[in-house]
Amino acid sequence: MQDHERLSAFLDGELSEAEAREIEKELEGDPALLAEFEAIREADRLALEEFDTMLREPVPFDLAKAIQEAPDDHVANATGAPRRSPPWGATIAALIALMIGGIGGYWAGQSQDSTLAAAPGWLQDIADYHAVYATQTRHLVEVPASEREHIQTWLTNTVGTNVAVPDLSAQGLEFQGARLLVAAGKPVAQLMYLDADQRVVALCLIATEAPREGFAAQTIGAFGMVSWGGAGANFVVVGDQDRTDLSTIAEAAATQV
Amino acid sequence: MRFIISPETVALRNTGGGLTDLKREMIATLPRLRRFARTLTRSVPEADDLVQDACLRALSRAHQWDPAQPLDRWLFRITRNLWINEVRKRQVRLGDGHVPAEESVELVTTETGEARVAAVQLQSKIEALPADLSTILLVVSVEGYSYAEAAELLDIPVGTVMSRVYRARKTLAKKIAETGGGVQ
Repeated sequence: MQDHERLSAFLDGELSEAEAREIEKELEGDPALLAEFEAIREADRLALEEFDTMLREPVPFDLAKAIQEAPDDHVANATGAPRRSPPWGATIAALIALMIGGIGGYWAGQSQDSTLAAAPGWLQDIADYHAVYATQTRHLVEVPASEREHIQTWLTNTVGTNVAVPDLSAQGLEFQGARLLVAAGKPVAQLMYLDADQRVVALCLIATEAPREGFAAQTIGAFGMVSWGGAGANFVVVGDQDRTDLSTIAEAAATQV
Repeated sequence: MRFIISPETVALRNTGGGLTDLKREMIATLPRLRRFARTLTRSVPEADDLVQDACLRALSRAHQWDPAQPLDRWLFRITRNLWINEVRKRQVRLGDGHVPAEESVELVTTETGEARVAAVQLQSKIEALPADLSTILLVVSVEGYSYAEAAELLDIPVGTVMSRVYRARKTLAKKIAETGGGVQ
């Protein structure tokens, strides 16, 4: 192993304990070696940043669609256990939240043709999303709260119904920003809030011509949900299951959307 | 960033799961899969074609997937194998004959020379690295593969993994020293 390769392997935790201790000792007494080590660490940091940037690029819609529409593997089907939902129904609700820009136009076009009512499967999809995003403190939202006006315009155009950002500060929630999701095959606006304990509460809405009547509370997975219908849309507030304030939050939001 | 699988998905998987959920997880893995493919192909359109082929291949062989294994690693493996096959096919077409896998990843995209130079100028420092170096750096440093796991994925000796990871960092460090750090 070349000497400097050891530094790199050290950084990756690939050396034995004895070798690692030896390197640590050498680094203490050898400024040139330490500088070399710092340089490769800096290179690593740059690599992480640049690779991270690539993840934020929109995924082409055609790619996700090709997967959605691909024929199923019959062997897997035959051995599969009973499913949560019919194989094709909620499937369309593929999780494509990461590809905002690229498909915005597509969804905008599709939402104008929204003769479908909001499919019942959308709440399950919202729960799945919440499980993913509520832990993403660094990537919680696509568009930050500072761009509130843009969020409202963008999501209103894309989701196909008016999207307003309610002020929930009286409920102890601070608006963080928004995401565009796809649930039950339709675009969904997701507005993210944080409470004082840094716990995530999301308000989601999906356009529908048949909004539900009244409020309904339910638990899906680890999350509590309170849903209701309004003008041209169904809404849901999602948060950790142990929250007792979701109904209050929902009622407050309902007066503002 | 790692994809986090929801508790529901895990529960379904443990009970046998359905392809529906496999597709769902697959789609959620797409950004990372595309990134991996980009280091192989060095071209965004080609990476997308490769990822699509890999996903369709995986779906057609879903019964081979062991749900105890992370889906992303299985997909990376399929992606890498498809790319090697593609590279070999092109080399045969170009009359280059047989080339060992570990040497073949550098090959030619369909871009013309000029387009390629322009593309490289626009690219990040990472993407300006030779393919074998950016791939190994992604796999080890970002995706968290051990050297042994990376060696298995890329079908190269562990010693080669170690020297490539080092060369990748060294090359990047040199670029940083020349042009300053930070994401372009």
